[in-house]
Amino acid sequence: MAGKELRQRAKELAKEHGYLQYMIERYLSLWGEEDTLRFIEACEQPIRTAIRVNTLKMSSDLLIPRLQKKIVTLEKVPWLDDCFQADFNGSSPGALLEHMLGFYYVQGVPSMTVVSVLDPQPGDTVLDLAAAPGGKTTHIAQMMENEGLVIALEQDRQRMTSLRSNIIRCGVTNTMVIRGDARKLEDLPVQPDKILLDAPCSGEGLIPLDSTRKTSKTMADVRFCATREDEMLEAAVNILAEGGTMVYSTCSIAPEENEYVVDDILKRHPEMYIVEISAEFGSPGYSEPYGIKLNESLKLARRFLPHLHRTEGFFICKMKKKERTA
Amino acid sequence: VKFELIDPIAWESITQLIDTEFGSGVTKSLLGNRAPIMISMNNTQILYAIPVDWMSILMERGESLDIQFLGKELGFSEKGRFRLSLHILSEVAKMTNSFILVSKQGADAFTYGRSIIRESVLELNSTLVRGQRVLVINEDRECLGIAALSVDAAKLNRLGSERLVAKNLVDIGWFIRRLG
Repeated sequence: MAGKELRQRAKELAKEHGYLQYMIERYLSLWGEEDTLRFIEACEQPIRTAIRVNTLKMSSDLLIPRLQKKIVTLEKVPWLDDCFQADFNGSSPGALLEHMLGFYYVQGVPSMTVVSVLDPQPGDTVLDLAAAPGGKTTHIAQMMENEGLVIALEQDRQRMTSLRSNIIRCGVTNTMVIRGDARKLEDLPVQPDKILLDAPCSGEGLIPLDSTRKTSKTMADVRFCATREDEMLEAAVNILAEGGTMVYSTCSIAPEENEYVVDDILKRHPEMYIVEISAEFGSPGYSEPYGIKLNESLKLARRFLPHLHRTEGFFICKMKKKERTA
Repeated sequence: VKFELIDPIAWESITQLIDTEFGSGVTKSLLGNRAPIMISMNNTQILYAIPVDWMSILMERGESLDIQFLGKELGFSEKGRFRLSLHILSEVAKMTNSFILVSKQGADAFTYGRSIIRESVLELNSTLVRGQRVLVINEDRECLGIAALSVDAAKLNRLGSERLVAKNLVDIGWFIRRLG
């Protein structure tokens, strides 16, 4: 589709479906009209609730029958241990006794996948940036079996309450919560083996969960987020231990906040490289979005897209830092 | 936020407080091989148990960090009174006889912030006395919170079904009420 024609079609679709025009223009450039229409349609469908069994407190084998007795229907997420799509049949997922007891955490499938990709192990030192409300922090601690050290960094004072509360509810005891800016990590007392940066973003992947996102953010907002994400990732790369692993993720589908940011980091930091994600999910990252050639290895990153995977939109990229040779 | 090592006298007094209510040696077991440390936040002092190898991190850089939470939260002191944290209740539940076992209906009401009345009580150790703090346990032996006895347990059978037995101090419904 030529530029003028694309803009005209984007204008029509944006008007018809209640989006800002710049968004549809980008979707048409990335995916073509057929997939753009499928995306728009998928964003009108609800996303299934999902839960992660908190194995620090309860096993899946014991929790599943207990929830089934309460008419909760569960379906295992194929690539994740202890994670299930859940239909609560009218009950509020957060109001059940089992939730209050910390036996499970209500969490999106992509968010659970991010931690599984990071693969924290007992005894590791892990840094979780922009950690509130604590879904990923508690998942990291769970995979570490409460051993080692998780540093959860959060800047927002209000969101700190939910982070603390979820740590307590889930019985996490290996975490140090620090209030601070994820762009200024030089004072941190450790060099982490693993870092999770699920960066605050424009939330363009969350349209199925929040339809106001169709019109709430301009292209300038996306650029602002991309700059902040770049600064956070830069700080994280600098503090990561040699041989360490970094997972960068966002709940945005914008290449500007994802592939572009990682591409810039790879250019500035030859010691960083993208590694393959072993689990089978999602679709490959883009190495040539809008026709702009980026690092070929970005294909190893993964994307969740509403019209392809029936989840919120998400981007996940796993990187490693080379060890300096003597 | 200011963190500090807890002095031996203050620790002794906390140990005595917890052990008197929940059993001798409970505090020592809760601490395990961790070290106690206190964070002062506004007018509240929060007591944590942290792995000993974190101490060097805190000694070296602690002053420059805005630390909000550390390891295992044992409890907090507010207006001169020490309260146990929800963080450790399930652990305490495995070590104490200071508990009140309640029916499903009583358990549901308790997690909505209600206190415990006679008809909900299924089991209560007869040596416990008025004012004593007890863990509230449901029929699946899960800890739902802490309550203070309003009567001596020995007098339980003399009470009418609607009479208050234990006043709710904190319950796990707090997680929902606090966060929505």
